[in-house]
Amino acid sequence: MNGAQHILQAFHHHNIETVFGYPGGCIMPLYDALVDDVSVEHVLCRHEQGCALAADGYARASGKLGVCIATSGPGATNLITGVANAYQDSIPMLVITGQVPSALIGTDAFQETDVLGMTLGIVKHSYLAESADELPGILEEAIELAQSGRPGPVWIDIPKDVLLAETSAAPAYAPAQPKATRPELTCAIAMLRDARKPLLYSGGGISLAHAEDSFREFAKCSELPAVVTLKGIGNAGKHSAHNLGMLGMHGSRAANRAVDECDLLLVIGARMDDRATGKLDGFAPNAKTIHIDADASEFNKLRNADIAIRGDLNTILKELTQAIRDTPLAINDWRKQCQTWRTTGGFQAADNEEPLAPITGPAFISQLSRTAPDDTIIACDVGQHQMWVAQHYQFDRPRHHLTSGGLGTMGFGLPAAIGAQFANRNSTVINVTGDGSFMMNAQELATIRRYNLPVKLIIMDNQCLGMVRQQQELFYNNRESHINLDDNPDFVAMARAFDIPALKIDRTDQVRRGIETILAYNGPMLLHVAIAREENVWPIVKPGGSNKEMIDETRRTAADKKEKIA
Amino acid sequence: MTTESNCETPSYDITCRMSHEAAALERLCQVVRVRGFRIAQMAVDSADGTLNIALTIQGKRPVAMLQSQLEKLHTVAEVKFAAPVVAAASRIA
Repeated sequence: MNGAQHILQAFHHHNIETVFGYPGGCIMPLYDALVDDVSVEHVLCRHEQGCALAADGYARASGKLGVCIATSGPGATNLITGVANAYQDSIPMLVITGQVPSALIGTDAFQETDVLGMTLGIVKHSYLAESADELPGILEEAIELAQSGRPGPVWIDIPKDVLLAETSAAPAYAPAQPKATRPELTCAIAMLRDARKPLLYSGGGISLAHAEDSFREFAKCSELPAVVTLKGIGNAGKHSAHNLGMLGMHGSRAANRAVDECDLLLVIGARMDDRATGKLDGFAPNAKTIHIDADASEFNKLRNADIAIRGDLNTILKELTQAIRDTPLAINDWRKQCQTWRTTGGFQAADNEEPLAPITGPAFISQLSRTAPDDTIIACDVGQHQMWVAQHYQFDRPRHHLTSGGLGTMGFGLPAAIGAQFANRNSTVINVTGDGSFMMNAQELATIRRYNLPVKLIIMDNQCLGMVRQQQELFYNNRESHINLDDNPDFVAMARAFDIPALKIDRTDQVRRGIETILAYNGPMLLHVAIAREENVWPIVKPGGSNKEMIDETRRTAADKKEKIA
Repeated sequence: MTTESNCETPSYDITCRMSHEAAALERLCQVVRVRGFRIAQMAVDSADGTLNIALTIQGKRPVAMLQSQLEKLHTVAEVKFAAPVVAAASRIA
């Protein structure tokens, strides 16, 4: 068995059934081995970045390992954005690239790049396989490492001669035993009991740890008022009475107010990213902090924790639930206060009563949320539409909301939707994108067509880079700079060129029918939604500002009027 | 870099034991840099597939953060920090 065949054997051993890749010179031995192996489904994307992002979407939607494959040189460098995206959001991914033959490494050979060197900062770990004998062990270790503890991408770079060399070596790898949870849990429970205004703050770590059910049980049992990060959306479920929604730069007024006033933050599976906390000095100024995470390096990174607990979130949440179940928390006044804020400071998208009025982003997303089936997976891109989805779509599970949280990768949504559809063949998968993001990986329409994936595509087209335009308007004295996209192609014609049916809507009275039409269609379909160029995402916190200083549309309008009168 | 600022920058001595794999040292140095420190001195020896590294680093960020990031590296077996001292300008490489 040669090195390439060992890779396929590792796939079988770990039940890896679907991989995303693009062939080329130095990875050819693996593609040759794939010819004789019908049990691994290889999805041919149209760009290596599409492969990496599709593998990412597959992993997010399924909780399984995402796998992407490319050749050396440009194949490997094209993967980099997708791998960095997975790294920032801790997505389990195995990356396999061909490399020039061992003897040519370091000679500036055709399609040679120092992949190991240039990817050090975007992987959990990486390997250069120096012989076929060590490859089976590397594969075992890499697959384990990508999925254990805090997940992340692991990259194996394999010279062509190693892929071709015969070996009888067997995988030999003994995973390290996880360190035991420290005994701070008792102290954390005592601190929780002492608090008068405790707030539950959860992030993407919940689903990464496969702890959705444990978390939901704890949230239900404790009845703690709760906020979520962008990646934590769906943690509490759409029917949770205590969920105040997303916090941060585009968070709800209710969530940011609760953070500001709480006296204890119980942070679970979140890393206190700057988009969530705003200016750190003003973040939860009166609160003690309990931080629970799989990764000890997140503790005290941005905010000092009074108690830090590293370990498996499932285990810890179950222990917390048991402790709270025995003696419930006495925080009724705080719960009532948060309920009031939830009523008055949640996200509200007013339906436009005027049928011929232009479509607004929030109202469109609200209608989509009401119309789409419960098992719908939304894969967003990055920009205003991403925030409207986060604010106005009611997600019941975190794996239904695929969003590029850490890296903010425009072009993520379409390939991620492809990956999600392969992971959930019978679910409705929708890529909600903007006109800027869509054009970054539009070539993957060909992948949708090739595999006849029933992915629905919704382009919210404001003919500009809306989020940049918004910040230029608000924070750069309205000096627009290189954000104009009014020469976009005809998206309907473009979709049809890929043999994907499409329709365009631009009035409020067309919204419901447009959504129903694409959802009812048995196959891929694109909906081009024209929205107003000047529409903004509200509320917003100025980058680097405190979450207390949220700007909303009402305040902005009042300030404008005052300015004009003066 | 000015001498004035160097005088105020804390300096730390680290010893690190890690497996001798491809790009091991680069990986270590990359983490030190990205997490806000610069390497002033470095000594390395290798034996039985293990690298023993002695580093003097300088930086104003909390050094415990660097320690936890280094310990997270898959190939790192152990990281030990000596007590911090304020860097003298003459120690800057």
